[in-house]
Amino acid sequence: MIQKLQIGFIFIIMYVSLNHLFYPDLILQLTNYGHWGVVFCQGLLQLFLIWIYIKGLSYFPQQDVIDICLKIGKPIAFILLIPFVISLTVLVTINNRLHTDVIISIFLPRTPSWPVLVLLFFITTYIALTGLGTILRASFFIFFMVIPLLLMITFTSFINIDWYNAAPIRPPSINFLIEKNFFYLMGYSAFLPLGFMVYKTALTFRSIFLAWMCVMFFSLSSVYIPLLIFGQESAISLTFSMVRAIYTVDVDWFFLNKQSMFLGLSLIGFTVILNAVLLWVIGRIMQKLLRWIKVEISYWIIAFSVVAFLGALMVPSLAWTERIFFWSVGAQVFFMIIIPLTIYIYGFIIKRRTAFYEEG
Amino acid sequence: MENLVKEIQNMFSDHADFFMEKEIKDSTPIYLMGFNTLIDLTKSKLYVRQIAGTSASVQELFINLSDQLEIDSEQIIHALLKGKLVIVSEKDERNAIVDPISRNLTRSIAEPLSESPLLSSVDAFGEDIDTNIGLIRKRLNTERLYHGSFEIGEFESRKLSMLYIKGKAPDALIGEIKRQINQIDTDIDTVEDLNKYFGERRFSIVSHVFQTELPNEATHFLKKNRVVLFLDNYPFALVFPQTLMDMFNVSSDRNYPTVIAYVIRTLRAIGAIVNVLLPALYVSVVSVNPEALKIDLALFVSESRQGIPFPALVETITMVVLVDLTLEAIVRLPKSVGPTITMVGGIILGQAMVEAKLVSPLLVIVITAIVISGSVVSGIQNSLYIRLLRYPILILASIFGLLGMFIGFLFILVYLASLKSNGIPYTTFHINRKGDAK
Repeated sequence: MIQKLQIGFIFIIMYVSLNHLFYPDLILQLTNYGHWGVVFCQGLLQLFLIWIYIKGLSYFPQQDVIDICLKIGKPIAFILLIPFVISLTVLVTINNRLHTDVIISIFLPRTPSWPVLVLLFFITTYIALTGLGTILRASFFIFFMVIPLLLMITFTSFINIDWYNAAPIRPPSINFLIEKNFFYLMGYSAFLPLGFMVYKTALTFRSIFLAWMCVMFFSLSSVYIPLLIFGQESAISLTFSMVRAIYTVDVDWFFLNKQSMFLGLSLIGFTVILNAVLLWVIGRIMQKLLRWIKVEISYWIIAFSVVAFLGALMVPSLAWTERIFFWSVGAQVFFMIIIPLTIYIYGFIIKRRTAFYEEG
Repeated sequence: MENLVKEIQNMFSDHADFFMEKEIKDSTPIYLMGFNTLIDLTKSKLYVRQIAGTSASVQELFINLSDQLEIDSEQIIHALLKGKLVIVSEKDERNAIVDPISRNLTRSIAEPLSESPLLSSVDAFGEDIDTNIGLIRKRLNTERLYHGSFEIGEFESRKLSMLYIKGKAPDALIGEIKRQINQIDTDIDTVEDLNKYFGERRFSIVSHVFQTELPNEATHFLKKNRVVLFLDNYPFALVFPQTLMDMFNVSSDRNYPTVIAYVIRTLRAIGAIVNVLLPALYVSVVSVNPEALKIDLALFVSESRQGIPFPALVETITMVVLVDLTLEAIVRLPKSVGPTITMVGGIILGQAMVEAKLVSPLLVIVITAIVISGSVVSGIQNSLYIRLLRYPILILASIFGLLGMFIGFLFILVYLASLKSNGIPYTTFHINRKGDAK
């Protein structure tokens, strides 16, 4: 029971961590009104993929994605998982860099970015090294520490909200469903790492569905807060519109100056967990794929973490960070479709084949 | 038998408290041997004479005195060291181990010294291991209570008892603890010595065991699927494994209405968090992130620090260390001197340092708050390790401000989540019967 809860928490943490920076900007660009329709359709699309993923994984009890890929064949596993590792490393790199820039703009305007990067590097590597069990347990506490902050941001932002900005409420058409950017948005989801945790606990669709509902709430709030505060016309022209929207919130009776502090803190809390999980997944894939090298998982984690850290140091500017982030998210979309489908189809074929043998 | 007497005499010739008294019974000399630091010699002799008066022969006297007759010399030495009286007759080869009238070397059941329970019984464990187990048996008179006794040590053989309720404590855990206890091949002088055998956590600041002085608490832990260990001559029950929640939950809380019990526990948790974070918060809002505060509050803070020559980190670390020193001194000093330290410390730390403009009045409030909040958690060793956790966060906060404080706290959470004793995580909420608690 508690493990299911922990999986749900980590699902929410990873989603919300990715969601808060670019996701609202992209949604605002996709349609002029009725944004909830886009968010909702996007959520359903992701839910569909998650369902396929869980269904596919359920054909192979107690086995994770790597085992299944190795079962299909070593070459397939290499072709599928090595690029996945590279894309995850890039994602960790850019995640660190992006959040460092946002954090610096909120907390430490006079500090260069490298000390903050060093700090993030150390904590993410440490968390990844402690292993999945610790990550799951720690996520439980971090969830209860950070979610109240996020809820507080959401509710205090009501001060600046103009509800008329939401109108008209009905989506204009469903043409966005065939737009490229709509599928691109799928990159802002993080259900793939769950498939690497199944050896610890079985995934059930029900617990993930409850977590998904929670994620939908935060997705909607991250889109609607900037929209309701600035209006569609202004919000569309801003980068990090959610962060800027929170910047404007100032509660009279509160002892802190700006609510953006809380946003910064919650972003850190979520990002370190997300990055730690990604690093752990990378380490596990490398260890299982290159089994003949006999290197412990911790060395892989440290190696890739150092690579990600150096990469993050070398990104020259925020413009570059954004560009690379979009590319890596694009790669994520690719894997998000390919991996669940591969597992599902392979599982389906295997099941048909065994059924055929049993009959015949 | 002459040999035996000589052998024993030689062996204990360096022991000034060893006695060998000659008595005559039926014109047969018999020797009484023992340690007069363990045995009340006068009363014991009187007892032997009384029995001798009613016995017809030397043989009958031996039988009347003891049922341990004709023991080999190795066991005799062992018995002597344990505080028994040994009687040896000079002529024939007869000896007996007698339970003498012992000196009273243990205190009787007293009130707890390190814990002060409210709305609960106020007896506490003492040094004698049998009395301690008796205190548990009195409360938990069920046949499912298992009591295993071990003798451990290299030089001394110290008694260690292990208690659990059969069918409650996880089997895997029990097996593992028994294996670890059987591995012990050195003397166990302290709890930390014992900790070393309980798995890989050599340099951890969190102990594997939770210590309590109260029989009520120990019984409660037994019912909560734990294992309780007792060391002879150590007046605490060692509850294995310790979890994070033990810091906030005290069994006597449940004598209050449920809502109040939960409020008290929440207060303890808040106390622990405040104790860890408050000095770091002070340092970060004063030196790194003053803009985080509302302008009038920021002005007030900076005004209170006007004229203070130290940077905030030095100021805070000085005060925190001073307070920790004071606490340590009060614990060490006799009760007659302790109050003096309290008074002098209070006046100098609070009043004089502010007046001399060495620290800000705001910091004095912060320090007072952490001293109070650090003492609300249950278990002395827990409040000590919480005090220790403050320092790394303080240093991170002085470099990165609020960000450093938050990341330091994350570090601590992850560190605590990574601790395990025999496969049971420190941050677990409930220990399942079958053991695979998460």
